[in-house]
Amino acid sequence: MNGTMATKVEDEAGATVTRACRAVSDTAEQVFRALRELRVAAAEQVRLVRRAGREPATADLAALRPMLFGHLGALIAGIGFIAAPGLLSDAPWYLEWWQDGPSGAPVQLLRDLNPASSAFYDYTHWDWFAGPHSGAERTVCGPYVDYLCTDEYSLTLSVPVLVEGAFIGVAAADVLVRSFEGAVIPSLRRIPAPALLVNASGRVVASTTSRWLAGSVYRGAAGFTAHPCGDLPLRLVAAELPHAS
Amino acid sequence: MNPTRLAVFSPVDSTARVEAVVRRLADAIALGLLADGEQLPSEAELAGSLGVSTVTLREALMALRQRDLVETRRGRGGGSFVRVPPDPSGAEFEVRLRAFTVGELRDLGDHYAAIAGAAARLAAQRSLPGDVQPLWRSLEEMATSSDARRGRVEGRFHIEVAAASQSARLTQEEIRLQADIGPLLWLPRSGATRHDEVVAEHRAIAEALQRGEADQARDLAERHVLDAIEHLIELRLLET
Repeated sequence: MNGTMATKVEDEAGATVTRACRAVSDTAEQVFRALRELRVAAAEQVRLVRRAGREPATADLAALRPMLFGHLGALIAGIGFIAAPGLLSDAPWYLEWWQDGPSGAPVQLLRDLNPASSAFYDYTHWDWFAGPHSGAERTVCGPYVDYLCTDEYSLTLSVPVLVEGAFIGVAAADVLVRSFEGAVIPSLRRIPAPALLVNASGRVVASTTSRWLAGSVYRGAAGFTAHPCGDLPLRLVAAELPHAS
Repeated sequence: MNPTRLAVFSPVDSTARVEAVVRRLADAIALGLLADGEQLPSEAELAGSLGVSTVTLREALMALRQRDLVETRRGRGGGSFVRVPPDPSGAEFEVRLRAFTVGELRDLGDHYAAIAGAAARLAAQRSLPGDVQPLWRSLEEMATSSDARRGRVEGRFHIEVAAASQSARLTQEEIRLQADIGPLLWLPRSGATRHDEVVAEHRAIAEALQRGEADQARDLAERHVLDAIEHLIELRLLET
């Protein structure tokens, strides 16, 4: 192969990596778009109640339901607003959280996470809450076995909700790993080399090689390069193509 | 068509759906997602949200009442209420324990040890520092919590180990086993004299996970479950 041709092949391979990174960003962005919409609605609802001269209560959050139900579907398996402890006047801990039910109708099952009555510590420890709370604009947690909500291998994406600059809670969504995988694998397959998507700590989200499957850990390997996916806490790792001389 | 195949293609009867509802609610109660005394939504509402008929739901509620996990009150302010099994102490503990034969206990222990061991081994191989963090928080809480609460925290610790294995199926199985026998299994060992010992056993499991020592993690987790079961069996043998 002469030098020009080799460069061309590398360029094409590089383009497939770039396109795969974009497919990953687009998929995550779909979820973040829904979360930003939810964040605007949640903040507006809290402002509205406060303007009426009272503090928000759990019942006020029911107004968000039509929007939440609208977002449940192909990619999003669960979505909701998680109140910062103390925000609501009638419950110190509350999640307006809905997920796809077995019959297709939305279900709200998680109603009590009060550390005093249940064995679960306060949710402010979970990364999907702690991330936005500490100021991160976009948080991607997992993949992890989400035994509280989906009961499956999932990702949780979240954004902070602010009112007049004050943190009032988190808008979050669960995405099953298999749904996310389904959305990004076609573009990963177009890369002419083994490729995998990993989170910030190296946990594999999706992969086209049996050497690392979703759930295993990528700790770096010779001959593999990690590419950032926009400003997401995800990286696309692909084997370098053998250099033709 | 042979009878086995006939059975395969026969309509899925409502028993399976009843069981699924019972399991879902019993799991939620075991996990502490539904709190003691919490009122369940109306039958129509609950049936609707679980996607089952009200007939199926009523059967499921009846089964939950028999297991003392739900209480139904009539009249004004009535409805179905969650009953978190009290820490089986004294008479109640004996009643619950006597519901199992020694053989059943042994079998449950074998099943549980297999699940807990496999989960711990995978967790040691696959977990990242962030996955182990919840375990340390639980350990801290276990060391300082009251006897009544310690059993629950212990149950949570085991679910967290299972989740660190990255296997949804093992985690679901762990939660199911907790619902079946967790309250019985973790309590007899939580007398004040054994408190430090119990915490130390859990700490050893967490440390093995953190060091990535898969075989040791499996051995410790299996031993932990089998010791607890052995203790239960000894108590069961004392009763006739």
